[in-house]
Amino acid sequence: MTAASLLLQSELLPEALDISFKIGPALLVIGMLGLFLTIGFVFRVADTDDMWVAGRSIGNVENGMAIGANWMSAASYLGMAASIALAGFYGLVFVVGWTTGYFILLIFLAAQLRRFGKYTAPDFVGDRFNSDTARAIAAVTTFLIGFVYAIGQAKGMALVGLYIFGNYGGLIPGLDGYQVMVVAMMVVTVGYLTLSGMLGATKNQAVQYVILILAFVVGLFVVGYTEGYSTVLPQLEYGALISQLGSEFSEPFAGSSYYLWVATTFSLIVGTCGLPHVLVRFYTVESERTARWSTVWGLFFICILYWSAPAFAAFGTDLYSQNVGATYGDPGMTSAASEVIVVLAAQLSGLPDWFVGIVAAGGIAAAIATVAGLFIAGSSAISHDIYTNIINEDATQRQQILVGRLSIVALGALTTLAALNPASSIAALVGYAFSLAGSVLFPMFFLGMWWENANRQGALAGMTTGLTLWSIPMINQIVPTYIGSLEAPLSTGLATWMPAIGSALITLPVVFAVTIAVSMATDEPSLETKRIVRQCHSPEPMGQQETAEDVVADGGEDVATDGGRAVDDAAASGDRAVDDAAAEEER
Amino acid sequence: MYERILVPTDGSDVAEAAVAHALDLAEKYDAEVHALYVVDIDSVNFSLGTEQVDRLKQGRFDEMDELKEQADEATGVVADRGGDRGVDVVEHVSGGRPHKVIADYAENHDVDLIVMGSHGRAGVRRALLGSVTERTLRSTHVPVLVVDYLDED
Repeated sequence: MTAASLLLQSELLPEALDISFKIGPALLVIGMLGLFLTIGFVFRVADTDDMWVAGRSIGNVENGMAIGANWMSAASYLGMAASIALAGFYGLVFVVGWTTGYFILLIFLAAQLRRFGKYTAPDFVGDRFNSDTARAIAAVTTFLIGFVYAIGQAKGMALVGLYIFGNYGGLIPGLDGYQVMVVAMMVVTVGYLTLSGMLGATKNQAVQYVILILAFVVGLFVVGYTEGYSTVLPQLEYGALISQLGSEFSEPFAGSSYYLWVATTFSLIVGTCGLPHVLVRFYTVESERTARWSTVWGLFFICILYWSAPAFAAFGTDLYSQNVGATYGDPGMTSAASEVIVVLAAQLSGLPDWFVGIVAAGGIAAAIATVAGLFIAGSSAISHDIYTNIINEDATQRQQILVGRLSIVALGALTTLAALNPASSIAALVGYAFSLAGSVLFPMFFLGMWWENANRQGALAGMTTGLTLWSIPMINQIVPTYIGSLEAPLSTGLATWMPAIGSALITLPVVFAVTIAVSMATDEPSLETKRIVRQCHSPEPMGQQETAEDVVADGGEDVATDGGRAVDDAAASGDRAVDDAAAEEER
Repeated sequence: MYERILVPTDGSDVAEAAVAHALDLAEKYDAEVHALYVVDIDSVNFSLGTEQVDRLKQGRFDEMDELKEQADEATGVVADRGGDRGVDVVEHVSGGRPHKVIADYAENHDVDLIVMGSHGRAGVRRALLGSVTERTLRSTHVPVLVVDYLDED
């Protein structure tokens, strides 16, 4: 494909958006990132003569804010309002899916993960199923999730970047303004990442959260107030507007099927609980109680954004109809314009540049903060789980840094390439990553944590099935958009029943069935593995510095089991003598 | 002349190439050897995750078994070899940016000589990693003996 045709094919310029260089907003973006770096520097990890001792522990609220900042990406900040603007109530699928996901996480995984207490997401899979292959598959999945998730972030950053910095199409030969911005934003993000380790993660993230949420909520209040839509509670007052917005907004299933909605919601729910950069936080919280309450606070802080996004979308849609043209119908609002509806709403309200800049800068900061978390999860998967655990067990710290940095550069380059000509909307792009997390990692975490008989063979079969099934709709719907000669989707029937954005609805039950069937058909896992699983659920509180593995390794003391279970296991594993003694002790 | 000799080690062959030199000098001068392992924050960040950096910062190094094992093993090698030759070895684990921590340690513990290995890296690897030894040279006034690993072969 020649450079010129690439240019023609992908002109992604949001209509009505004022694309030019603006000094105020530009300074705001630089200032916001500078502020993150400054805060990071103030709370940086100091060099220490001794290992750090008795540091201050991190509370629930602060952890919750960090969860919020890590979570809130361009998909939440821009994409959610975009999907609501274009599809009306249907777009609430993201609000419903993502918040429900945190409930599942809270009930089934948060505290138990704290008890397991390792480092990375693939660590759990590798240790629980005693398999380097399982660890490697989980690591590759983690890397893939980071890549797919970040495509949407790059798109969001670039579109907002157009508003702030203007159109530099042609600055890099063959690339249009949007594409130049993708490259620039990804370079900034990868640069920011080189500093992330020095920046105390939680503290910095808590501050990021406050800045992001203020940018969004203040933007909403001011737009609502100046345009006369709302006064004190725009999150509710936007309801008065709904009947004017057109049936496309208030009749969600006019254009899309119920099935797609259900599939997408399901995928988003289980994907949330399988995202590596979300799960790792729970390994490091102080106690199970902190794990639970941090999740609750995190959900609350995320909800502040989610309560506001529909209102912002409604205001934006109405302003667009008044000032630009009909939102629905032909030609209607383009998807490029909808992606920046939050910024567009502020701009169309006639607010000064610098104020629109706050809202826009928030979008960029949200994307950068999340990409940082995703890329670090990806680099640790490669550096720790594949390189250090499997390839070179004697890897020095310097080698780990080298591999980690190369992984981040690779992720950055892949993401940039894929985002030059993105296949779908920000929210949908992110949705594919959720399908992947829900198809491969969530089943392993859930079964691994809640069913002690899940074994290595089951996990390997399950994860392979999950990866394969996930890639089918991706190849059907997404890959063709990157190949000029093919038209997406390859099969309409498949796209209807197994949509890429909601494929976990199909894959998850299959992966569960395969994992369970294979586990039952093969030998049970060792008693030690079972004990670790049980320890993750023990009602006894664990010491602050213990992991389930430690407790099992230290104690001849048996873990809490339900009745005669231990004896059954002994018979099954042929380890009768040892376990009878343990069962004896229990009585 | 030399009462305390510092040997920073990360457990690699490169670092351990310097150990023989340090012990030999220590024997001659009847000096004490300090084996220092620095938990590199960048390494923890890229290979374990930023959350784990936070965990360290909260003083929870104790619960990070693998990291601790690696550190103990690296300093343990120096201690064992010192023991064989009748040299007193003090083992120590610190955290932060290696060159900075090494320089600070040398200053705080009245170290008279730092002995460390070097790769002689070039090109891309040097650009991406730099050299701890090179940076240490620039951050300390204590004499540094650099043992080039390539020459040992």
